[in-house]
Amino acid sequence: MAGRQLARTAIIACRLPQRSICTSTVCRSDQVQLDPQTRDKIYPKLGNREIVGYGMNGTAHYIDHTDFPCPAIRFKENTPEVLALREKEKGEWKALTLEEKKELYRASFCQTYAEMNAPTGEWKSITSIVLMGMFLTGWLLLWIKVYVYPDLPKTINREWQESEVRRMIDMRAAPVEGVSSKWDYEKGEWK
Amino acid sequence: MFRIAQRVGSTVQCVVRNNIQKSSAAVFVRHSHGKQESDEDFDNRYEAYFNRPDIDGWELRKAMNDLQGMDMVPEPRIIIAALKACRKLNDFALAVRYLEAVQEKCGSRKNEIWPYLEQEIRPTLDSLGILTPEEMGYGKPELAIQDVYSM
Repeated sequence: MAGRQLARTAIIACRLPQRSICTSTVCRSDQVQLDPQTRDKIYPKLGNREIVGYGMNGTAHYIDHTDFPCPAIRFKENTPEVLALREKEKGEWKALTLEEKKELYRASFCQTYAEMNAPTGEWKSITSIVLMGMFLTGWLLLWIKVYVYPDLPKTINREWQESEVRRMIDMRAAPVEGVSSKWDYEKGEWK
Repeated sequence: MFRIAQRVGSTVQCVVRNNIQKSSAAVFVRHSHGKQESDEDFDNRYEAYFNRPDIDGWELRKAMNDLQGMDMVPEPRIIIAALKACRKLNDFALAVRYLEAVQEKCGSRKNEIWPYLEQEIRPTLDSLGILTPEEMGYGKPELAIQDVYSM
């Protein structure tokens, strides 16, 4: 709704943004002036912040995103201090101190690009949770082995295995490429 | 654009004839909508757009957002035109923001591309009094924001 209001004054062309002739919204040098209905819809939620552009999708929200350097609204409200700075901004920018320049930036924007792109350290919490999960799973498996699994069959031991192999050799099982092919029948031992 | 197509044909029997035909029709076909414009035209268009005397904040920001969405680093003259438009609109923060955005477009090759760009726009920066993000102290993060998921 509000997005359509803002979007109506601009083109959704991929190339050159032109403005369609629209009677309800007029753009002037810095401030978008809205008709009363749109204003009532958007403004209470916005506080005292001015709408300055199209933003990411036409809605009057502030979003920090590296792909959209210019959000639709300024970040901070237009307090008297900010307005005084804006007056000073109309003059020579070299006359602004570094502090004032930073203030101006932070009045319009929340995070700098460096801050947007900064690592969050989230990988540490993710890795630790994953490792803790694996640790608990290990204990769970141990418990299952001790308390849940039945005993191994009596056939699982070395002697039984050896006599089984002996039997396979005696009956010439897999004589071409398997067990019996590895047995030397003349000598009575493995090849 | 136009390409000259050559076709060589030959007859079946002993006589071999070379037919060289020139066709002036555009042989290569791009199945996109409209004609592709050249880089030069694109740069001119955007530079002219930013240099418009009656540009307003809304249009400036929209153009910056659009440029950011394209798979390219803007030419120095486009950047200069954008900075001058910021000066016209008395918005210092936007100028610095746009410089940061251009650095972002350089991507992983920022160390190769940004020094060249900075060298090209340095006269404009000095005359308008715009600081680069590094000079502002915004090369590294300054403030931290609380993670919304742990509020």
